[in-house]
Amino acid sequence: MSMYNYVFRRVGFMAVTLFFVTLIAFAVTNILPGDVALLILGPNATDQSLEALQTQLGLNRPLYVQYIDWVVGLLQGNMGESLRFGEPVAQLIAERLPRSMMLAVAATLIAVVLSVPLGVYAAINQNEAPDVSASMFAFVGISMPIFLWGLVFILVFAVWLNLFPTGGYVSPSEDLVGSLTRLVLPAGAMGFALTAYIMRMTRSSMLEVLSEEYINLARAKGMSQRVIVLRHALKNAIIPVITVIAFQFSYAFGGVVVLEEVFFWPGIGRLTLTAIQSRDIPLIQGCILVVALIYMFSNFAADLLYAYFDPRIRYGGDD
Amino acid sequence: MSAPTTATDREADDGPLLDVRGLKTEFRTEGGPIVASNEVSFSLDRGETMGLVGESGAGKSVTARSLMRLIDSPGEITGGQVVFNGEDLLQKTEAEMRDIRGNRIAMIPQDPMSSLNPVMTVGEQITETIRRHQDVSKSEARRLAIESMDDVGIPDAEERIDDYPHEFSGGMRQRVLVAIGFSCEPDLIIADEPTTALDVTTQAKILDLLNEMQEREGTAVLMITHNLGVVAQTCDHVGVMYAGNLVETAELGDLFDRPRHPYTRSLIDSIPEVDTDYDELPTLDGAMPDLGDLPSGCNFAPRCPHATEACRTGGDPSLDAVGDGSSRAACLHADDLDLSESTVPEAGAGRRDIDRTGEPLFEVRNLKKYFNAGEGVFGNVHLSWSGGGLPTVERRHVKAVDDVSFDVYPGETVGLVGESGCGKSTVARTALRLLEPTDGEVYFEGQPLHELGSSEIRSLRREMQMIFQDPQSSLNPRKTVGQIVGRAMEKHGIATGEEKRERVGDLLERVGLSRAAASKYPHEFSGGQQQRVAIAHALAVEPKLIVCDEPVSALDVSVQAQILNLLNEIQDDENISFLFISHNIGVIRHICDRVAVMYLGKIAEFGSIEQVFSPPFHPYTESLLSAVPHANPDRETDRILLEGSVPSPINPPSGCPFQTRCPKKIGDVCEQDLPELEAVDGGDHYISCHLSDEEMSQRESFITPSKRAETSPADSD
Repeated sequence: MSMYNYVFRRVGFMAVTLFFVTLIAFAVTNILPGDVALLILGPNATDQSLEALQTQLGLNRPLYVQYIDWVVGLLQGNMGESLRFGEPVAQLIAERLPRSMMLAVAATLIAVVLSVPLGVYAAINQNEAPDVSASMFAFVGISMPIFLWGLVFILVFAVWLNLFPTGGYVSPSEDLVGSLTRLVLPAGAMGFALTAYIMRMTRSSMLEVLSEEYINLARAKGMSQRVIVLRHALKNAIIPVITVIAFQFSYAFGGVVVLEEVFFWPGIGRLTLTAIQSRDIPLIQGCILVVALIYMFSNFAADLLYAYFDPRIRYGGDD
Repeated sequence: MSAPTTATDREADDGPLLDVRGLKTEFRTEGGPIVASNEVSFSLDRGETMGLVGESGAGKSVTARSLMRLIDSPGEITGGQVVFNGEDLLQKTEAEMRDIRGNRIAMIPQDPMSSLNPVMTVGEQITETIRRHQDVSKSEARRLAIESMDDVGIPDAEERIDDYPHEFSGGMRQRVLVAIGFSCEPDLIIADEPTTALDVTTQAKILDLLNEMQEREGTAVLMITHNLGVVAQTCDHVGVMYAGNLVETAELGDLFDRPRHPYTRSLIDSIPEVDTDYDELPTLDGAMPDLGDLPSGCNFAPRCPHATEACRTGGDPSLDAVGDGSSRAACLHADDLDLSESTVPEAGAGRRDIDRTGEPLFEVRNLKKYFNAGEGVFGNVHLSWSGGGLPTVERRHVKAVDDVSFDVYPGETVGLVGESGCGKSTVARTALRLLEPTDGEVYFEGQPLHELGSSEIRSLRREMQMIFQDPQSSLNPRKTVGQIVGRAMEKHGIATGEEKRERVGDLLERVGLSRAAASKYPHEFSGGQQQRVAIAHALAVEPKLIVCDEPVSALDVSVQAQILNLLNEIQDDENISFLFISHNIGVIRHICDRVAVMYLGKIAEFGSIEQVFSPPFHPYTESLLSAVPHANPDRETDRILLEGSVPSPINPPSGCPFQTRCPKKIGDVCEQDLPELEAVDGGDHYISCHLSDEEMSQRESFITPSKRAETSPADSD
């Protein structure tokens, strides 16, 4: 019963957050310098034609009317029409979002698969050679910006070793193998960069849990090291790591903006970039909203996972 | 179960169950090896209970963990033998040891709150032990687990087995730990301070449970504790440890009647008895030497009142038999010394008189503090579906403090006592406006605190200081002691510059530290010294009232008495009032003039120490008092054990809050009517109970000032 309360409460908070996001997205795009009508018609447009277009686009109405209009549209599933592409914003985003999602999910998966075992391994060998080398491996990952890793990966795996294509995107429904081979390098580069944080968090969380009294008791019960680490420690240690993973996933979404350029990956990152460059206000607003939504939902998912792993949260948490 | 046959097989072995010979455990440190357990030798028979006592750092736990080979790097067992069931455990491989741990030797750890894995159900934690050591199916293990939960008195074991630890109270969690310990019917249980973290009524129940389980299963128990009261109640024989050495072993009666080592005498003397009056609480002066820098002679010589030149230079004495009893002691003069008499002086002056004719300094009237149940803005909003239809929204509260009134007069100490969760700390915090009261009035020197704005409150804070349980977290680690104490003076414009430095020095001396302490940082002090710094900090602004929230609970017993004496002394000199919060009724007994006994956010009884500790008793007070373990094995105590645990304050019982556990419950009246806090014996002693005065007066007073004089002349037994 408390679980419903919890979800109910969280959804309420998300609605409030979303309201503020729409406010900010709207405000930012309207404060941006540059007149949309001027941008569309070019510098040689006459005042009359500018005014006509502004009236047509509704740009000369008071801001709050424009805002309400936009939000009402959003609630009806209408995100407006892209000025640059002349297509509905929703359609543009719907087309590109799955591609970026694919990249971010793959990158996060790679990061988790690499970093959690590394973190555990480092923790149980604290301050010894395996710990130090795992930490160094992870630090190399964050020591350079993501796009640079993209370039390094292209150079090493595509140009020198010729194992994977240098970039581009193929839909998995058309050519699964081709799609996956193109996914490996961008996802790998990003995953490698994300590994460090998750690994450090796993390590320190494991170290903390391993010094807990219940670990002592598990040893006194005759449990083997394997059972202690996997059954008793990891399930506790993973709880704070989940937040970091969720955060890294959202970070990956931010990271794709640059990485998609490097790998010619036609996802939401490149779309955002194009939208900003061409002052395509409805599209910018749409992209901001979608990325904010993803951020909120990944954190929401993390909190639900929390509840799954930690029974104390499941019941409202008053203890 | 198959237990009886295997048990008899094992009993066929000759010799003691456990024979520890010259066990030595060292820790490698930068300053060289530290011997935490030095040539410890003792033996334990089947079914016997042995206590291992000493101050913290004496090496009790290290010795016990060494027996199970659970010493972590940089620690290492460097010598000796641990012969268990005829085999030396130190020769076993790690895999063989794992088969013994939890199976033949089990451990019951100290802290029920942190010793159970929070993400595993208690059932999983019991069954995994059973399945690790016994070849049984999953369902059979589950059945055995339910049985063991039943055995340790967990109600509704079958339903509760799939619950998580946080759904159990502290006492119930400790029962789960006992169930885990006994689940494989071990030959030996090592109980490491199994009741220290528990409230006194729960503590008594767990000790009874341990005794009962031990008798039923014939298990031997090694009981590690700093509490001689616990030892007196449970043990057959006792080992006393000091600075890594076993300094005395004896049968229980011999140890208390005729201790052979001066340290044992000091330990016994340092335990304040609930029923004795003291002018000054007995203390164990000095501190245990640093294990890395031991004195050249006997380790105890620097603190020993009987030490001679030979003690200081003659090397560490060995543990040898003394007299014709069961005693062995590591003391050069063990044969010559007669330590059978207590060295604690008898009370002379009696209790001080408090003038309660004028205005009280601090007065709390009908104070209430309700918390929202749950966290966050919507935390207390609770959706409930009842019988279909639309969900209804209700707001729920935790009534942490519910209609509490009391007053404190100048120079007086008023105690708030009760088990954890009774609301005593919340009373203090709310009264000082550290929390906003929900309702009620608070007056300080006639000023209505509940009406003042935050800036007025801030200037009054100077008059009302607070001392917390954990000095380490209440002192800023980045400031020197001088800065911490001096800052308070500057903030309230009491002194600056040279004058400030001078006064800080005086204050530090006042609380028993040196003037040089001003330039040190908090971490350079021991827990007791840190608490002294906290006291100096509180005194720096010359307050009229100090609220002490469990100020000695985190300290070693021997240090507790020193701090309590210091507080008493300061009160006598400065005429400061204390509001003293503690779960320990023994501590309250010796420091307070009046005391309020709290239960579930309400005051059950209020009066002077003499009144509260003498009949008539509120049934809750009576059970609290009866549950305090006495450090005297000859004393029969008629303990009242309370059923169940404290109900949730979100959903308190109807009528009297104590009715669900009250051993003297009358019937419907208790369930329906909330008893008023009424004056009994026509004076200023208040009890909230439906019982008549006679019904509350069936037990003798817990105060008998001449008790020591009566019992000490060599009790024949």
